[in-house]
Amino acid sequence: MIKVNNLKRDFLQGQQRTQVLKGIDLAIEEGEFVAIMGPSGSGKSTLLQLLAGLDVPTDGDIQINNKFLNKMNEKERTIFRRKKLGFVFQNYQLLSTLTVEENIAFPLHADGKLTNEKSKMINALIHSVGLEGLNHKRANLLSGGQQQRVAIARALVNNPTVLLADEPTGNLDRAMAEEILGLFLKFHRQNKQTIVMVTHDIFAAGFADRIILFRDGVIDKVISRKDSDYAKYLANFMA
Amino acid sequence: MLSIWRISWRNITTNNKKRFFITLLAIILGTSFVTAMLVADKTTKDVFDYYEQMYVANADYWVLSDEHSYSEEMISSIQNDSAVTGTLLALDKQAFFELESDHSLNERSVRITGVNDQNSPLLKLPVIEGSLDNKGIVITEAVANLLGKKVGDTVRFTNMGEAKVSAIVEYTQLLASPSNWERAESTSFRILAPLDMLREWTGQYNEISYMRFQTKGDGEELFHSLQQSFLGSSVFIQPVVADDLQSNDIGGIYTFFYIIAGLSIFISGFIVFNMIYTSVIERKKEFAIMKSLGYTQSAVSKLVLIEMILLALIGTAIGVPLGIWFGDMFIQALLSVFEFDMVYTLNWELPTLVAIIIGFLYPIVFSLFPIYNAGKTSLLFTLKMANERDGSTRLHILRAVVGVGLLCFVFIDHPVTYAAVLASVILLFPLLLIGLSKIFTPILKSFFNYPGIMATKNLFQQINRNANTAAILAIGISVILLLGAVVESAPQGYEKEIRSTYGGDMRVTSELSWSAEDITKLLSYPAVTDVKPLAEAAPITWETVNEGKRQFSVISVSEDGPSLFADLQEKDLYKALTQKSTVLLGDRAFEEWGGNIGQSIRMNSPSGEQSFEVIGVVKTSHHSGYVAFMDATNLSNEFGWTNSFDLLLTVNSKAIDSTRDQLWSDFGNHLSKVQTVEDEVESTTSAISGMNELILVMLLIIIGLASIGTANTLLMNTYERKFEIGTMRALGFTKQQIRNMILAEGLLIGLSGVIGGIATGIVLIYVTSKSELMEGFISFQFPISNIILAMIAGVTLSLCAAWISSKTASKLDIQSSLKEG
Repeated sequence: MIKVNNLKRDFLQGQQRTQVLKGIDLAIEEGEFVAIMGPSGSGKSTLLQLLAGLDVPTDGDIQINNKFLNKMNEKERTIFRRKKLGFVFQNYQLLSTLTVEENIAFPLHADGKLTNEKSKMINALIHSVGLEGLNHKRANLLSGGQQQRVAIARALVNNPTVLLADEPTGNLDRAMAEEILGLFLKFHRQNKQTIVMVTHDIFAAGFADRIILFRDGVIDKVISRKDSDYAKYLANFMA
Repeated sequence: MLSIWRISWRNITTNNKKRFFITLLAIILGTSFVTAMLVADKTTKDVFDYYEQMYVANADYWVLSDEHSYSEEMISSIQNDSAVTGTLLALDKQAFFELESDHSLNERSVRITGVNDQNSPLLKLPVIEGSLDNKGIVITEAVANLLGKKVGDTVRFTNMGEAKVSAIVEYTQLLASPSNWERAESTSFRILAPLDMLREWTGQYNEISYMRFQTKGDGEELFHSLQQSFLGSSVFIQPVVADDLQSNDIGGIYTFFYIIAGLSIFISGFIVFNMIYTSVIERKKEFAIMKSLGYTQSAVSKLVLIEMILLALIGTAIGVPLGIWFGDMFIQALLSVFEFDMVYTLNWELPTLVAIIIGFLYPIVFSLFPIYNAGKTSLLFTLKMANERDGSTRLHILRAVVGVGLLCFVFIDHPVTYAAVLASVILLFPLLLIGLSKIFTPILKSFFNYPGIMATKNLFQQINRNANTAAILAIGISVILLLGAVVESAPQGYEKEIRSTYGGDMRVTSELSWSAEDITKLLSYPAVTDVKPLAEAAPITWETVNEGKRQFSVISVSEDGPSLFADLQEKDLYKALTQKSTVLLGDRAFEEWGGNIGQSIRMNSPSGEQSFEVIGVVKTSHHSGYVAFMDATNLSNEFGWTNSFDLLLTVNSKAIDSTRDQLWSDFGNHLSKVQTVEDEVESTTSAISGMNELILVMLLIIIGLASIGTANTLLMNTYERKFEIGTMRALGFTKQQIRNMILAEGLLIGLSGVIGGIATGIVLIYVTSKSELMEGFISFQFPISNIILAMIAGVTLSLCAAWISSKTASKLDIQSSLKEG
């Protein structure tokens, strides 16, 4: 479903060229929940932005559902993003002038279609993320946890092929983080939603089927729930 | 170590280059507009002064008569007086050009002034071609072109003789002539001839119309002694005064353009305020850090002040030279509108100095509050901002209440109403913008789809700033619409005033005083129903309350005479005027005099220096109000002016042309001018109609300037909303959708400004039309062409302004924008 081949991304800082991703090869199956971990500057967020089409690679291929993202122009990437991808940001990125409902509906409006069916779906999503009764409340008046729920609903509103999440619990306390991760798990299990989540938090990563560890722009280690030492690895990491 | 000037320079040039450029553009335009007006005003005044000085030349006094001419013997003692250094004798005679082409007597009428020395220092004639040889006639270039004559060509005069053109000169007041045949219908040509030649043609040997002379020193003693010696005769003496206010009112027009220049400064100042205020808000964190590192309040304010000084300096350095150039173009346009065939030299020195001071100061004055605010930044600024939010709601309510209160001034007939209405527009505009954005949402949606809806929502984020921007556009449009309506109404107002105070349908002026036989003959004309004599004593010199020397005419009036002024207490004024030593002043003369009703005005009458009590001020079309009125009996007995050279005829309107022809035919030997009320209306209103085009240009400039404000505001909104725009892009908004959203915001601001401006303009026009202060001068009307232009220009330029921001917004890097959050 997601195939990444020899993915490289360089940045110019002044006269100096820094290679953030040094040739990544990665495959993520449909319906898989993958967590990407690694220290700051290891390249995990860069990978997520490349997967979202917010950035373009210096070299290599990104395939999502057999579509080469790196071969699309800017407009094609934008349209692909709004039709096929959902994105959850660390700082929620809600539009302060819009209500909860309007924020969730935004990707559909951007696509120019808001059918009755979609409207019902928005209400269902509001219900499923636990924000009943807050439809018409301005998003910036909600708590951090509530805002992240809105962001998740917004990311799911277009039935995305992949849900990308960048530190979705980074700004939340443990209890709130658990609730948000619970939502991720719920959608992953109920709808077989493919999720790629970048996180610093091993607790959050523990919700994933597979953890990919990044170090200095390359994949350092991949641990799967199916692996025999998965639980031990997590325990050691937490310790 | 970095100097504070260098830090400030980096702040304005590095942070937001586009914003810096747009703000600078606004300062440049505002400064150049003011410079242009100052330069044009000063140059125009100088041009008129120059021509007036050229007219009076080196003469100190002149001796005239209340008859057309007098014997040269009367002034022989002056010519021989040791205190007199030079004299010039002149005789005026009405004649007609003998032309091959078919023109009426009226069109061919020419006043020939015979002078004894064309090279006299008491007569300045700027020669273009030929020489002042005292042998031939002297004509202006405009007359030469119209008649198709060159130096050496012969010009013939009906029943008089012929002369060669010896010199062609530039425009001069003494020879002010029509430059086309249309104007020749109501204005006589004027040419100069040798005195001897004219005397030979007319047989008026030893006769002169006036003598000018120059004295050693001020000649006051000689003046007073001559004043005494001429008492009881038809001859009188007057000091030569350079005062052309009777023949032009161009100063009044500049008041009009200064209002527009003030408006441009206000709009530019607002743009500067918006920019610097936003910059200060954006940099609160930076200021807080600076203060935590030991910067004092004044040091922080100083940093921002220096930024403004740098902007003002650059703006002035570019705006002032540009303004001088604009000023030059403006004078050319104005002189062409008023059909003045004048040559001018641009006087830019003093206006430039004033413009530099204004250009440097106004951006700083408009940014004083943000500068102060920058210094006041609290270290706990986050907490402060939370408090400000509560305060801003109260501020909105206060703004609306004060706005409604000020709007109630429309019911008060006072000049302050205009300022109150404009202030209320600024205060109430957030409400208007909210209302209009709701009304326009479906339209924007149909044009721009969802980005159109987003645009309406975005406007609320910075509602005050967006509303202020639209309000400034609205104020610009409303003031120009009002001025446009004044210009459009003015011809009707002037016509109304002329018809009510002209005193008849036709004014006929003769070189000889009209006899009873002449009047009887005129009354025998089938089309003439009434004939009233009019005595006009001119030139009469007088003193302002500040002892300045001025010159105007004193016209006789009486209750049973023609109605020459308009006043509600007309009958009472006629009665009061019968008292001795009383006078009524026209409004412009009264303003120039500077005194109050009840005070006395000093005049040099034919009976010597006299004081007259000013019993009132009246509106009149005669000499545009630069005139005095005196009771007919007093003018004759007390003032010493006995003759009437003018008659006011009441004529059947269908027979105006035939009557005019008959007049020239019957009285051509002494008739000098025939003017109908229509001629007067036409000559007064034609130039005003030409001003409409200037008003349209001003309207475009003001809307353009306001659109720079729109561009600036939208650019600031865009930079502030980087995070949201980045989010929208990340969620699937294409670049085109972002562009459409910003364009819709610009369109909404522009539309609101245009609609608010038109509505305010109509209110102001209505208030003005109903104002008793205007005395019905302006009628209520919709200046349709100006409204259409305002709508097209307002919307188009707002879209252009939005396009700049939309390009910027669509090019924002998604990732770095997302980090702004």
